[in-house]
Amino acid sequence: MEYFSLKRSSTASRGQPNLSSKVYVRSTKSGKVQKIVRELYLRQDIPCSSNLCKACLQITPTDYSNKVASFVLSDTPAGSKKFPNGQYLVPDTNAFLTGMDLFEVETAFHDVIVLQTVLEEVKNRSLPLYHRLIALTKNEGKRFYVFFNEFRMETHVAREAGESINDRNDRAVRKAVQWYNHHVGEAVAARSKKSKRVPSVVMISDDRDNLRKAKSDGIPALSLSDFVSGLKNVDELLDMISAAQDRREVRSAKAEALYPEYFSMSKMMTGVKTGTMHQGIFNVSPYNYLEGSVHVPAFDKSLLILGRENSNRAVSGDIVVVEVLPQDQWKAPSTKVIEEETLNKNDNPEAEYGENVISERERRALQEEVKRAHGQSAEGKPQPTARVVGIIKRNWRQYVGHIDRDSVRLTSKSSRQQQMVFLVPMDKRIPKIRIRTRQAGELLGQRVLVSIDSWERDSRYPVGHFVRSLGELESKGAETEALLLEWDVQYRPFPKTVLDCLPAEGHDWKVPASLDDPGWIRRKDLRDLLVCSIDPPGCVDIDDALHARQLPNGNFEVGVHIADVSHFVKPNNAMDKEASQRGTTVYLVDKRIDMLPMLLGTDLCSLKPYVERYAFSVLWEITPDADLVSSHFTKSVIRSREAFSYEQAQIRIDNKSQQDDLTNGMRVLMMLSKKLKQKRMDAGALNLASPEVKVQTESETSDPVDVQTKKLLDTNSLVEEFMLLANISVAGKIYEAFPQTALLRRHAAPPKTNFEELGNQLKVKKGLELRTESSKALADSLDTCVNEKEPFFNTLVRIMATRCMMSAEYFCSGTQAYPEFRHYGLASEIYTHFTSPIRRYADLEAHRQLAAAIDYEPLDPSLQSKAKLEAVCKNINVRHRNAQMAGRASIEYYVGQALKGKDIQEEGFVMKIFENGFVVFVPRFGIESLIRLRDLATLEPEAEFDAENYVLRIKGEKARSVELFEKVTVRITDEKEESTGKRKVKLTLV
Amino acid sequence: MPPSHAVQVNLSPAELSYLRSTLSQKPPIRLDHTKGRKDFRSMRAEYDVLPGANGSARIALEDGTEALVGVKAEVEKLQWRPSLGEQEALTVAAGERMIVDGGQTEDEGGKGKGQNSWLEMSIEIPGFRDDDSLPVFLASMLTETLLASGELKDRLYINRRFHWKLYVDVLLLSPPLSYPLALLSMTTHLALLTSRLPALKSEKDEDPLFDDDWDAAIPLYPKNRGKSSANIQVEKPPVIVLAMAVGENVIFDPCKEELAVADAVLAIACSASQSPSANVARIVSIRTIDPPSHLTPPGVPNSMNSATGGTAPASSADALTQRELLTSSGVWAPPRGGMKRGLISKIVKMVVEKDGIAEEVIDALQGVEVG
Repeated sequence: MEYFSLKRSSTASRGQPNLSSKVYVRSTKSGKVQKIVRELYLRQDIPCSSNLCKACLQITPTDYSNKVASFVLSDTPAGSKKFPNGQYLVPDTNAFLTGMDLFEVETAFHDVIVLQTVLEEVKNRSLPLYHRLIALTKNEGKRFYVFFNEFRMETHVAREAGESINDRNDRAVRKAVQWYNHHVGEAVAARSKKSKRVPSVVMISDDRDNLRKAKSDGIPALSLSDFVSGLKNVDELLDMISAAQDRREVRSAKAEALYPEYFSMSKMMTGVKTGTMHQGIFNVSPYNYLEGSVHVPAFDKSLLILGRENSNRAVSGDIVVVEVLPQDQWKAPSTKVIEEETLNKNDNPEAEYGENVISERERRALQEEVKRAHGQSAEGKPQPTARVVGIIKRNWRQYVGHIDRDSVRLTSKSSRQQQMVFLVPMDKRIPKIRIRTRQAGELLGQRVLVSIDSWERDSRYPVGHFVRSLGELESKGAETEALLLEWDVQYRPFPKTVLDCLPAEGHDWKVPASLDDPGWIRRKDLRDLLVCSIDPPGCVDIDDALHARQLPNGNFEVGVHIADVSHFVKPNNAMDKEASQRGTTVYLVDKRIDMLPMLLGTDLCSLKPYVERYAFSVLWEITPDADLVSSHFTKSVIRSREAFSYEQAQIRIDNKSQQDDLTNGMRVLMMLSKKLKQKRMDAGALNLASPEVKVQTESETSDPVDVQTKKLLDTNSLVEEFMLLANISVAGKIYEAFPQTALLRRHAAPPKTNFEELGNQLKVKKGLELRTESSKALADSLDTCVNEKEPFFNTLVRIMATRCMMSAEYFCSGTQAYPEFRHYGLASEIYTHFTSPIRRYADLEAHRQLAAAIDYEPLDPSLQSKAKLEAVCKNINVRHRNAQMAGRASIEYYVGQALKGKDIQEEGFVMKIFENGFVVFVPRFGIESLIRLRDLATLEPEAEFDAENYVLRIKGEKARSVELFEKVTVRITDEKEESTGKRKVKLTLV
Repeated sequence: MPPSHAVQVNLSPAELSYLRSTLSQKPPIRLDHTKGRKDFRSMRAEYDVLPGANGSARIALEDGTEALVGVKAEVEKLQWRPSLGEQEALTVAAGERMIVDGGQTEDEGGKGKGQNSWLEMSIEIPGFRDDDSLPVFLASMLTETLLASGELKDRLYINRRFHWKLYVDVLLLSPPLSYPLALLSMTTHLALLTSRLPALKSEKDEDPLFDDDWDAAIPLYPKNRGKSSANIQVEKPPVIVLAMAVGENVIFDPCKEELAVADAVLAIACSASQSPSANVARIVSIRTIDPPSHLTPPGVPNSMNSATGGTAPASSADALTQRELLTSSGVWAPPRGGMKRGLISKIVKMVVEKDGIAEEVIDALQGVEVG
């Protein structure tokens, strides 16, 4: 009987040799479990990519333009003592996991072959590391080559019966190294008869078993540390190896577990689904490092997490799963300031064993808290507390900090002995990090960048490793870089691929003279309009310009003209991707980190005066009562007549003798803007305040000389009103055109509970009522919060109210219901960002959508996909916030520098009261700072804290009481903060 | 029982009569004279033919009938049937409580928890609609035997909230040349025997999480390795064998033509129990099957044929009486009536006895997997 087998899977033994398969189980999100069979078609045309090899050049597949991808690996790779003929490195998975920082070093680790097996394993183990590895392979200078060993017939390894996946992968790595060695040998032999220099292909692995097997197979192999030992500046490099690895080996069995074990992932997922556990982001209070909170969707108020044991190794920012504690352990949020450095000053970083999770002092501090919580009346109601039972995702990044001087045993610079030291992060919410270093002496007094590697159950603090030093503490370069790193701002220069996307003409680019040019298609000629721009002094990236003129029917035509950035930045090219990554331009006091390359931002896009520029115009017909008759959108060409600063514009408008058309147009704008503002206020828009100061710097050295609060002129609000109007009009238009995918901006109404505290404070202290049922009510009640004697009181309340708000966010219209689109602060039904495309990516996307909505050009598919837009929104929301934070941190640093060595007395206001201190805000410098009781006298004075009336009665020799909203005089000096190494202003009560 | 129009036999009454007489000889001479009455037709079997399925098998008989079976398992949420105690444990209690409760249930395993609906079988036979009686009957017959012992469905229990749902898809690749029940059953047996389920990593009543390594998957029917686990009763999936009676003779695995002269046909589902003491095999279910011989046209004897000098009967009642008298004359008449008790017990004995048919078939199929 003729018989054909239907089987195909076991082709390793019979049938085609170029076919293999891979079988695994995939669990989908919806809970399905599938057996997946992937067939592999093995090929022989995957090149080795070594420039030594001629044979591979012949077989390499060509791309669509018939070009062969250029080979990566150098033909004269660097050698070492052991391999004098040069070496190609083949690291295994663990080498990358523990030494990624090493591989990123510019001076070493070139000519690295990244095997597909390894790349996939890295991806499974750690996504962030995978992305860094991918970035490395794209870095031309590093010469990292991804070799698809699983697809190449000679290096494919089938899993043997009973072999674990790890063993198979290790074998695949060894096989690939073996093949490479053989292949490179052949290639060199083919090049010249008398081959002298055959580079070795060396496996880098820390797995002893793997090294042993490699040795017995005659494959060159080294452990990571052995390899590094042969390089220059060993100490620095060795410090960069992740600490997670060696700790695992060092630890003995007797090490006592300090923290409870995490639940298994499946247990947590089940718990979260059934509602017995909750998932959220772990946040640590900036005032009390022992108090964390997790906002979970199930409750309005965040769950409190108190103490180290309950926070169970979670670091601020991690996504955690928590379990609510029984009611008898609930307590009120802390009213006390607890700082790590004061409590745990004398920890010994070397101590590996016998630590307690909670030091005795911490325990006492917590105990007091609980006692107080129990003896409290209804005011400070105990809140639900919770404990962390597991971590869904670590959001560890690299942290900037400085080495704790007390933790260094050997300070001599010459000593190369390895020792454990503490790194104190700049961010107070991050615990001290234990790092092992050989260069402790040198690192003292420097800003240092480190990574956290692990936090085991038996270690009180997380363990990390050194990445690099940023420079001397307090030097401008180091501090600026530190804050950019802390806020994850991409500050490296634009790569070449991005600059390649710029117009070839460079600065000579001009609006084409001929109206037949393709650039003029569907573009309106508005060059005859009297357009001008009004910006802060010294502004070079001019996004917007305005004009107004009277129409024959008595109405006005008002135009807002925005730089046409989308003409220059096409979707999905390298420049667009870079801009979408950066999300926004970051403004620091002395520095601007651009979203787009300078050429565009400050020249070609910028609506500079006296030259023709492409613009995207919004034109309205507006009645003299500031009612909209119609709006119209068009791409255009304009010529700005003048670029004013706010002040210049104000002077020009106020100067009655100026009666030219341009000035009159500005007066019309001014008149209309006032009416528009009134309408907005009537609708319930909020007039919020944030402490804004400006640092005056010396132009040459950009050293700060003075600090001023920002002045607001009518012209500021003139520009603002029309920008708001343009944004609202555009939002309506793009939503109408793309109801599912319009990129909009919303500001959610704050939950009532956010205002509880402030409302209560106002009621108790000032007898004022804060109504929060709508934005209109809030705006009105904020207006009533005045104190005749103290004009600043109203601003103070506004600042505090602002902090109770939600933050506005970008979103994709399909993800929310229409009522949720509302912008609470602006009291607008719909809103987007359109007016600053040079410095915000959201505006650029809005430009593209508007261009498609008016049929100027087709919409790019990336803007039609809800999922893609959501990812963009998520990123720019984060970037936007980080940019603001970085800006603030920069101001804070410069204010500190400006006040350096000064001693000033200034008025301040009490903003917040704790049991053992209070926060004072100084409007003159926009600074707010904590004054601790122990700062008041040498011996910490006793004090009585009346939480219900927000009064702190200080006893002892300097008896006085401090109450909320009180105006106090403070003495401002500067001080280097021990915990963060930042120079900070220090306030003392006078 | 089922209308067997599927198995049309084109044999004349004379041929039928001849066939019957050879089969009722002692010993019988089968259509394939090399085979004894207990001999099965030769077949080719292989398993794991469908890479994407949890288990699969294919068996081809020498007459060209061929069947393919694929087994797919999916995780399903258990339909919630709240009983007071359970509800409390899952909704009110936090993690601790779940562990306690889970601990209790763990001892019981899935025993008695399986539900019949967790197994779904579909049979496709070329030329038949899926609601035609033959596939429907075959499917219910196979399902019935698989569920009879309860062992299989209990094995599909994961925890109190989840279970596997098993889809057994049976495909007859050729037209049904002979009655395909035994073939389909054997193929299903082999497919189930070699089926594997992903290994569970989560514990207790958590949402199930599985090992993503297929090599770690555990067999649906755990293998009995060596003697150490001999005390654990490991069942094999049941298998159906077909037996037919001609006169006093019992013939196993009849071919199409043989069925056309059967007095009676029995489908016996049996499974091998591993307990060393008792019978090696036990009967799971027995069904009689209406043999196609009942529908064959009767021969017309010369005495009733006017063309050959006989006299045609005047009425149908008359014809019946005349035929009754002619039963042993050698002229073909479709068999009537059922099966004698004695014969049934004889067949059952032949199936379950030591080294009997059941053991032989099951061992043979086991042998396919082992190598």
